[in-house]
Amino acid sequence: MKVKGTYKRSDIWLAFWLIIPTLIAIGITAFYPLGQTLYDSFFKWSLRPGFEREFVGFQNYINLFQDPRFLSSLWNTIYFTFFSVVIEFLLGLGTALILNADFKLRGLVRAAVLIPWAIPTAVSSQMWKWMYNDQYGVISIMLYNLGILEEGTPILGTPGMAMAAIIGVDVWKTTPFVALLLLAGLQTIPNELYEAARIDGANIWKQFTSITLPVLRPTIGVTLIFRTLDALRVFDIVYIMTQGSVGTETLAVYNRSLLMDNIFSPRGLFGYGSALSVVIFLIIGIFTLIYIRSLNIKLD
Amino acid sequence: MKKVVVLFAILTMVLSAFSITITMTAGAVGRELEVLYEQVAMFMEENPDITVNVLPMPNSSTDRHDLYVTYLASGTPDPDVLMLDVIWPAEFAPFLVDLTDDYDYFGLDGFFPGTVASNTVDGRLVAVPWFTDAGILYYRKDLLEKYGYDVPETWDELYTAAKDISAKEGINGFVWQGARYEGLTCDVMEFVHSFGGEIMKDGKVVVDDPEYYDNNLAAITFMNKLILDGASPRGVTTYMEEEARRVFQNGDAVFMRNWPYAWSLANTPESPVAGKVGITVLPKGPAPDGRNSATLGGWNLGINANSSPAEVEASKKLIKFLVSKEQQVYKAVYTGQTPTMVEAYNDPRTIEANDFYPDILDVFVNAEPRPVSPIYNEISREIQVAVHQVLTGQSTPERALDSLARNLKSLVE
Repeated sequence: MKVKGTYKRSDIWLAFWLIIPTLIAIGITAFYPLGQTLYDSFFKWSLRPGFEREFVGFQNYINLFQDPRFLSSLWNTIYFTFFSVVIEFLLGLGTALILNADFKLRGLVRAAVLIPWAIPTAVSSQMWKWMYNDQYGVISIMLYNLGILEEGTPILGTPGMAMAAIIGVDVWKTTPFVALLLLAGLQTIPNELYEAARIDGANIWKQFTSITLPVLRPTIGVTLIFRTLDALRVFDIVYIMTQGSVGTETLAVYNRSLLMDNIFSPRGLFGYGSALSVVIFLIIGIFTLIYIRSLNIKLD
Repeated sequence: MKKVVVLFAILTMVLSAFSITITMTAGAVGRELEVLYEQVAMFMEENPDITVNVLPMPNSSTDRHDLYVTYLASGTPDPDVLMLDVIWPAEFAPFLVDLTDDYDYFGLDGFFPGTVASNTVDGRLVAVPWFTDAGILYYRKDLLEKYGYDVPETWDELYTAAKDISAKEGINGFVWQGARYEGLTCDVMEFVHSFGGEIMKDGKVVVDDPEYYDNNLAAITFMNKLILDGASPRGVTTYMEEEARRVFQNGDAVFMRNWPYAWSLANTPESPVAGKVGITVLPKGPAPDGRNSATLGGWNLGINANSSPAEVEASKKLIKFLVSKEQQVYKAVYTGQTPTMVEAYNDPRTIEANDFYPDILDVFVNAEPRPVSPIYNEISREIQVAVHQVLTGQSTPERALDSLARNLKSLVE
């Protein structure tokens, strides 16, 4: 707001007119569907012709929290998010520190680590699904040979193991992205800081905790927000690899099933699915607020 | 130049007043789409006033369902002709043109009764059967012969042969579709029916009826036993049709349950098992209630209720053409997809291309539909979840059947 005085009145109006198309576009593509979904979530309703819209108030939300399938998919989502984000962050940070060091062919290595990130998720999920195949999968065979797995164990068909396998794919895919974001943050730290610290006799660990981490904090915050929000709405990896069986169903996978498989159901599940969409939205919103608050990120 | 453009515009308008364009959705499994293009070209030659646009769909039935849901929910008049999975008519019925009065126009008396029944919702015919499918048993002729086994007629015989041969050969015994998806429901229905059980009857839940409960329990227990005892690999709990086919076609299994499409693929020259494969009906369950059973699959053609009357008329013509005997034979010869019209099986061209048809004609005639219900998706999912939990060791057959009965009743009531 401080800058206002430095602009001419006509310039501010021009800026206002220029921004209007964007506001309208956001209104149509983001706020209208959001409002519609919120509205639908208060009804028992289906898209089946002749279905009478019935106002049920908060009943859909009350039912949701008594629905064992919702509760287990909520738990699965949190489990997936926690482990994938923590592992990706630690591995990504390590990778970023290595890539930040001076060595030959640094540019090439930096580009190469990005390859998993560049492959479309649907493609890499299918690829990993084959690698996990119980008969011909390269990962399965390696694990059999090492004696870690009993021969013939279906990784994606075993409770517990399936979720770990999916988290593994997500880590493989997303660590490069995390590393890249953190690397960008690392490069803003001037070398003089480290030189001064060395002269003062600070060891590597001391340099890391008193220079690298504090300067990197905003970058870490943004990275964690990006990753957590992405992980909370994970869909494609799970849907392609297991369709949500053996305890891998996440909120987004359950939501697809309500809104697409049962859209014409005479039981009126469209409103119920909308309620789930709203809950997913709220969960993601809450996580974002927690991060922004606790990491003191300024969004303006 | 301007004159030419105007003339062209007028010409197009005049022509379009007499001609009509319709859109049809289609699959692309195997040679299906290529053959359809040929058929549509023939149709357009016979009907110069109709233009048909073919809209290829994803292979997975679930993905097609998602697309149809968006077309139909939005009320768009396109596509006009919809290729529908055999389990969808009840769900999509309100969006489809009523074809009851056209029963004779399509000559449906000559079709397998089961395929017509599966397209009839509350006495209303909403789609016409295009090609049919049924679960069949594939076996390795060479291996059965080598170890002196007959083609199994009961599940117990299959179990014994699968266990014995797989152990001696170091390969898998019996592969089927055990992943948690629609295919598992098909397989479950076959096991349950062949043991004399039943899950739904006349729209009512009968899982825990005393008349069926013991047989249902025996069927699920047997499926679980196949995996526990190693007659089937533990990996079947992640297999769909193609995963099972790859294992079998690679020569790594003695028996396979699959649809007829796998036959021509297993016998291609580069297939390691070409010429060594036999097919037969799926085995019977144990006496006294045991019988053979195959789940009915297949695809039908329906018409979008939002299409204009002229488009509906043109669509009916196209459907009548595609399901005519001549075209069913053509499709059977070039795609291997099984006709829905009895007459088409008596044609020498059909038999020559698919010499196994006569042996398993009965399977197609007697194929049993999955429960018909507008909430079929929800019913099927309950069945999948209950059985998959047993197969992956998360539940016992008894507990799974109890919760299945409870959940289905809360859906249907």
